[in-house]
Amino acid sequence: MRNDTLNVIGVYTKTIMKAWFQYKVDAVLRSLAVFLREATGIIVIYFTLLKFDSLNGWNMYEMFFLFSLLFLTYGIMILFFTGLRDFGRTVRDGSFDRFILRPRGLLFQIIFVNADWFAAIGHGGLGLVLFLISAGKVGVSWNLGLALYYIVTILGGVLIQGAIFLFLATLNIYLMETNSLKELFYWNMRKFAGYPISVFHKSVQALLIYVVPFAFVNYFPCQFLLRKEDMGQYPEIFMYMTPFIGVGMFAVAYLFWKYSIRFYKSSGN
Amino acid sequence: MSLIEVNNISKSYRINKRPKGIPGMLANLFVPKYEMRQAVKEVSFQIEKGDMVGFIGPNGAGKSTTIKMLSGILYPDKGEIKVNGYVPYKQRKEYVGSIGVVFGQKSQLQWDLPVIDSFELLKAIYRIPEEKYRKNLDRFVQMLDMGNFLQQPVRQLSLGQRMRADIVAALLHSPEIVFFDEPTIGVDVVGKETIRNFIKELNAEDEVTMLFTTHDMQDIEKVCEKLIVIDKGEKIYDGSLLGIREKYGTTRQLDVEFAGIEHIAPIANVEMVELDELDGRKKRFVFENKQVQINDLMNFLLQNYRVRDISISEPEIEGIIRKIYNGEVITT
Amino acid sequence: MNLAPYMAYFKKSFLNRSAYRFDHIMSIFSNCLRMFIFWEIYKALYGGRQEIDGVTMSMVTTNFVLSMGLDAVFYINDYFLPDKIGNGSITTELLRPMSFKGRMIAENMGNAVFNLLFRFAPAFVVACLLIGILPPASPLMLVLFVVSAVLGYGVLWTISFAVQMTAFWLLNVWSMTTIKNVFVNVLSGTMIPLWFMPDWMEGVLKFTPFSSIYFTPIQIYLGQLEPGEIAIKCAIQLLWIGVIYVVGDILWKCGQKKLVVQGG
Repeated sequence: MRNDTLNVIGVYTKTIMKAWFQYKVDAVLRSLAVFLREATGIIVIYFTLLKFDSLNGWNMYEMFFLFSLLFLTYGIMILFFTGLRDFGRTVRDGSFDRFILRPRGLLFQIIFVNADWFAAIGHGGLGLVLFLISAGKVGVSWNLGLALYYIVTILGGVLIQGAIFLFLATLNIYLMETNSLKELFYWNMRKFAGYPISVFHKSVQALLIYVVPFAFVNYFPCQFLLRKEDMGQYPEIFMYMTPFIGVGMFAVAYLFWKYSIRFYKSSGN
Repeated sequence: MSLIEVNNISKSYRINKRPKGIPGMLANLFVPKYEMRQAVKEVSFQIEKGDMVGFIGPNGAGKSTTIKMLSGILYPDKGEIKVNGYVPYKQRKEYVGSIGVVFGQKSQLQWDLPVIDSFELLKAIYRIPEEKYRKNLDRFVQMLDMGNFLQQPVRQLSLGQRMRADIVAALLHSPEIVFFDEPTIGVDVVGKETIRNFIKELNAEDEVTMLFTTHDMQDIEKVCEKLIVIDKGEKIYDGSLLGIREKYGTTRQLDVEFAGIEHIAPIANVEMVELDELDGRKKRFVFENKQVQINDLMNFLLQNYRVRDISISEPEIEGIIRKIYNGEVITT
Repeated sequence: MNLAPYMAYFKKSFLNRSAYRFDHIMSIFSNCLRMFIFWEIYKALYGGRQEIDGVTMSMVTTNFVLSMGLDAVFYINDYFLPDKIGNGSITTELLRPMSFKGRMIAENMGNAVFNLLFRFAPAFVVACLLIGILPPASPLMLVLFVVSAVLGYGVLWTISFAVQMTAFWLLNVWSMTTIKNVFVNVLSGTMIPLWFMPDWMEGVLKFTPFSSIYFTPIQIYLGQLEPGEIAIKCAIQLLWIGVIYVVGDILWKCGQKKLVVQGG
């Protein structure tokens, strides 16, 4: 049984890679475009901090370090959850009907049928570049413990964002169009999460901590490693919660999906 | 107990009614109006193992909705469906391994990859054993003459080739029941014939039960034995293909070739049509076989005019179906 | 020239936009939130200082509200031509008895007017109430702002037009379009006010069309430019429109030829 599951995942992945290599030049260009698009925010930070030196006590390298976690986690996350990102389209063009007709789990198919390697390389690559630029210059003396903390944090961050994607995808069952909702609750929030959240109004901070908890993807873990002054405003325990929030949110999102899928209505024609 | 049992199923959709023009747009922006549309109304039928059933009706009659409920994509609002002992929408994973579905309008093949890659993927998804996969693939490829484009990317195929590949994709796991939704749409005449022959052969040899919707009456006449007609969500006919002719095909026509130009006086309950053949020597008489005895009419013509040739014909199924859609035939 | 068919397309694109009601309300909310966030970041950057390099916080705020507002109005469908080439409908489109470019403009204008009324206006009111913006330097400057903003739209439109033309040669223009947008976003001042660009970047900017899109109208609005400078900057806007349009049009003509040679 386990072997069979691995086998079908392998065939799905082989299919994705094969389709990808059909257009080699385009694939390289696409990854580059994603890289540049995501670098826009970084370039803006670079220019801004050339002028202003620091933002709430965070200098340029510390900002890059903060950003790098955001991109690294997304790069990994999108390899698994592209299908959730594109779920709205999958429903509208009738592909989801086909998933229902196949003797495999629905979520299983959504997850493994598609993987956006362009995004993975673009985002992940940028995250890696930023990490390499900043990791040695932010005053962290890396050891095995900290490396382990960093890896667990990345996994937690992947799960948190995966859970948000799963939750938004589930909403597609009730609403035909959810792109704006995703724009608002995912993409906008992610833009804000690139900055130390302490610069924002209390309500925005609350949003980033309790509603769309991006703060646990990068801000609090960075605080554990960097110990900036503005951490004084938040409970110490926030620095250790990322993996638990990740697992918890994903579990809740999964239950919501399980509950909602029975209401799915095919878009007809 | 039949293989497919459908009992009183109903299904409605909520649709947004968009008023026209700029004021309507503004109104809809703030207060959207919805209305319920009943796609399927209390439909029941049974299908036996090995049956070949045509499922027809005008656009929007509820065919696709019914197929989707039968295949487990949609839940019926009311009523029950049981196929092969399963309730499709409740026992999805167990059930779908025993059915195949072809949507003529929506391919399940990988667009950028060679056809064979899609088949390999399906082999993994349906857990088809190597031996069975080989056997089925070789057989279908030969029957549908697909050997020359198996290695071509799907995007380069003609519509007919793509459709054949899609049909094979739905059959690789040897389903007991196959639903076809418009399997010949957009396919050229030769391609249609290939597909029809294949379907017939498969039904005869493997006893695969088949249900299909189509707009092409030729498909129905050449392939189906049974017919279910649905209109405005309601079932209006369920029976054999021949039965529909007996029940509704009550008009007859008599084509008569006269020896010379004849002036025929009007005959009660018979409509006469001048045919532009043989310099007007040929005429057609159309009548209801309940109102006019065919013998009486023939005798009358033979006795009063010089007749060279005479032939009787029954109406085409297509014509009958069109009449049913148009409400010209009362169905009960 | 008969304008009626163009008006029909203008109206069609206007009405189409209204189909996704929920999406629309969310996008207004999204816009407001983004403005608010930039405001907060700059408040932190200023850290209570009155001005930096002669630029006050309220000038920064005004820059963000106006440039993001204009950005919301200046929505251009970058895939208008690429989609038609992709699905092959371009050949029939070209046979219609109307200018394809004219139709492109008409549909984009329909979108722009819809955005002006239902996206910019509400977000602008919210921004004014919440953050507050500087009033225009004078009524005349407000008028000139509008004129210059229309020219700014022209610059952005011709850039999109020229980039879309590459669809005749490229299989997929998504990458090109995305890279174009990176340049527009960074260099036009919607994400960082151009006052704060390092000196060497200002030299680079002089030779690109991007500052003509939003920054010129905003400088006029704030009264930062002398009458002579206004004339020069608007002339530069016109010049860019002309230059980029000519480049785009050459590509358009070559592209059509290519289409004929290949038979669509």
